[in-house]
Amino acid sequence: MSSIGTGYDLSVTTFSPDGRVFQIEYASKAVDNSGTVIGIKCKDGIVLGVEKLIASKMMLPGSNRRIHAVHRNSGMAVAGLAADGRQIVARTKAEAINYEKTYGEAIPVKELAERVASYVHLCTLYWWLRPFGCGVILGGYDRDGPQLYMVEPSGISHRYYGAAIGKGRQAAKTEIEKLNLAGMSCREGIVEVAKIIYSVHDEAKDKAFELEMSWVCDESNRLHQKVPEDLLNQAIMIAKAALEEMDAD
Amino acid sequence: MDLNLNAPHSMGTTIVGVTYDGGVVLGADSRTSTGMYVANRASDKITQLTDNVYLCRSGSAADSQVVSDYVRHFLHQQTIQQGQPATTKVAANLIRLLAYGNKNSLQTGMIVGGWDKYEGGKIYGVPLGGTIVEQPFAIGGSGSSYLYGFFDQAWRDGMTKDEAEKLVVKAVSLAIARDGASGGVVRTVIINSEGVTRNFYAGDTLPLWHEELEPQNSLLDILASAPAEPMRI
Amino acid sequence: MAQSAIEVPPKGGFNFDLCVRNDMLTKKGVQLPSYRKTGTTIVGLVYKDGVVLGADTRATEGPIVCDKNCEKIHYMAPNIYCCGAGTAADTEAVTDMVSSQLNLHRYATGRQSRVVTALTLLKTHLFSYQGHVSAALVLGGVDVTGPHLHTIYPHGSTDSLPYATMGSGSLAAMAMFESQYREGMTREEGIHLVSEAIRSGIFNDLGSGSNVDVCVITKDKTEYLRNHMLPNPRTYVSTRGFSFAKGQTEVLSTKIKQLRERVVEVAVEGADAMEE
Repeated sequence: MSSIGTGYDLSVTTFSPDGRVFQIEYASKAVDNSGTVIGIKCKDGIVLGVEKLIASKMMLPGSNRRIHAVHRNSGMAVAGLAADGRQIVARTKAEAINYEKTYGEAIPVKELAERVASYVHLCTLYWWLRPFGCGVILGGYDRDGPQLYMVEPSGISHRYYGAAIGKGRQAAKTEIEKLNLAGMSCREGIVEVAKIIYSVHDEAKDKAFELEMSWVCDESNRLHQKVPEDLLNQAIMIAKAALEEMDAD
Repeated sequence: MDLNLNAPHSMGTTIVGVTYDGGVVLGADSRTSTGMYVANRASDKITQLTDNVYLCRSGSAADSQVVSDYVRHFLHQQTIQQGQPATTKVAANLIRLLAYGNKNSLQTGMIVGGWDKYEGGKIYGVPLGGTIVEQPFAIGGSGSSYLYGFFDQAWRDGMTKDEAEKLVVKAVSLAIARDGASGGVVRTVIINSEGVTRNFYAGDTLPLWHEELEPQNSLLDILASAPAEPMRI
Repeated sequence: MAQSAIEVPPKGGFNFDLCVRNDMLTKKGVQLPSYRKTGTTIVGLVYKDGVVLGADTRATEGPIVCDKNCEKIHYMAPNIYCCGAGTAADTEAVTDMVSSQLNLHRYATGRQSRVVTALTLLKTHLFSYQGHVSAALVLGGVDVTGPHLHTIYPHGSTDSLPYATMGSGSLAAMAMFESQYREGMTREEGIHLVSEAIRSGIFNDLGSGSNVDVCVITKDKTEYLRNHMLPNPRTYVSTRGFSFAKGQTEVLSTKIKQLRERVVEVAVEGADAMEE
């Protein structure tokens, strides 16, 4: 990295001779080193899951959340610098409220994703700003059904059936591809997400983690909510069992 | 007689909107007046906002035209941004924002009606203060005072398109008969999943109500057909 | 225009506080200076291939006729003209302003102006002044979308009609239109009906008078027929007018004052030097 970036990687407003903006690529690195975050779109809704790495054993479980509610029926999971993520979350909430005030109905997820993406992108255009060191997965339910978007530090935003970012994204993506998302309910999706997060976690190398999960689906009345405690514990149990089975093989 | 030609151009009006099974029917008379003078006897008070949302205007002509121009502009922007038609609810909310935000300088009451694939046919009343009320039917303008009882009696849930349009034409013609500030022709707009139909009912084809006379081109025609006897007073 | 129970300072736009004060003062009997008004008959109609506009030529100031042959059909664009009623200064100013905006717009786009453009510019201006710019207009023209005729009220509301009248003589003129207008009239019929409508205003309305101006706009030609009719020629006993023999005015007294010569001495510099 140090050999290619020299001279052209100091500012977000400077292109390298081969047309790259290194600062944005470095920002993506911050995302790639964080705990894995995945989101899947099932037939009746969206499930978001985060491998939240515990920085200190003294930390209270459930603190420093990485999944945020941004609107009645959409939530956002953050990978990368959590503090940067809060700025995006705050802006997303403001956009959702502002849209509803103007038009009198809930903001479509597509529109929300576009607005978040242009905010993130804006921070890659000025020398006095630095790009966000985080990527977000936005899941929501509107009149056109459940939708899943991922916004990267470059300001790119795409709609996905299943998305993964963070350390274990490659392994997670291969696992998601194996799922039959179109025929899966969110209740089943929770277990799959838990399994994936547990499987991509490297117990030997990584710090301990907490599984954080939320959903927006018909079962939650199309509201963005934390996955109920009993379902979450059950999913964790199954995930752990599956992991042991795999290790035994 | 004080004609008061300098009075603001306003629509002493009858406007109605009715929902039916599968859509909405909007109706209005066609009289606009300045003081006591009929400035336009064939005006169109049902303005198009988008392909599938229309607006009935009453009160000050200038104010309601400005509001509808702005809302048309905003809805156009929204339609482009979303890549799909705006809903009636969005239209109603934009109208409310303008009507409420400028309530001290606007003298206009409106009825929004439209059809969209999410909510079907919807009617929203936006009266003077700038509130929105979603209603199965809405009436407005000076002529509406004569129609409250009529609608309480005649409106039913689940009418067909033709029943609803008949009700609208009947209501507007009743108001025209009793309200001096309403008159001219009856215009209707029907909006449903298939699109929009505009209908026009000329003033001399409207039903006659209590003590109304058949329309005549000239009073001389009446005199000619009457027996030649001195007029009794 | 709206007079609400509670006066709240407006968030944007113009401030009309002084207008309210002036209204109060007039109600209390203060005489404000009067404006030159065009107590007017202006009309327009759409015929087979275009639009005919018409106007009388009287301008008044209170009860006094202050111009017997003014122009009330204003130029907006080569294909658009506009008749104005109300305060002469306002109609003149607003049409001039919009016509210049249209001109600039033509330079920018390289296309012929449209009537709706003129209409929108006029109505937004008038609306922003909430009726205090008293211009009542009949706007007519032919553009790429066909012939158009609109009326614009001082508060900024507009109508589009096949035939229209405005001003104090509008009732008289409308009577002519209501009884004689037909769809698809010829040019001659159109001009005739417009002239009749204006004459009806001239003869039956106190605010209107003098001559008939007509403007005919078609797709490729605009004709401004200034003083198309002169129904009120100035009449004299003699065909050559009056002439008076010299000395008809009696001399009551004569006083002749001698002009006193005034000598001023001017010192011319350099003149002395020359002499020496």
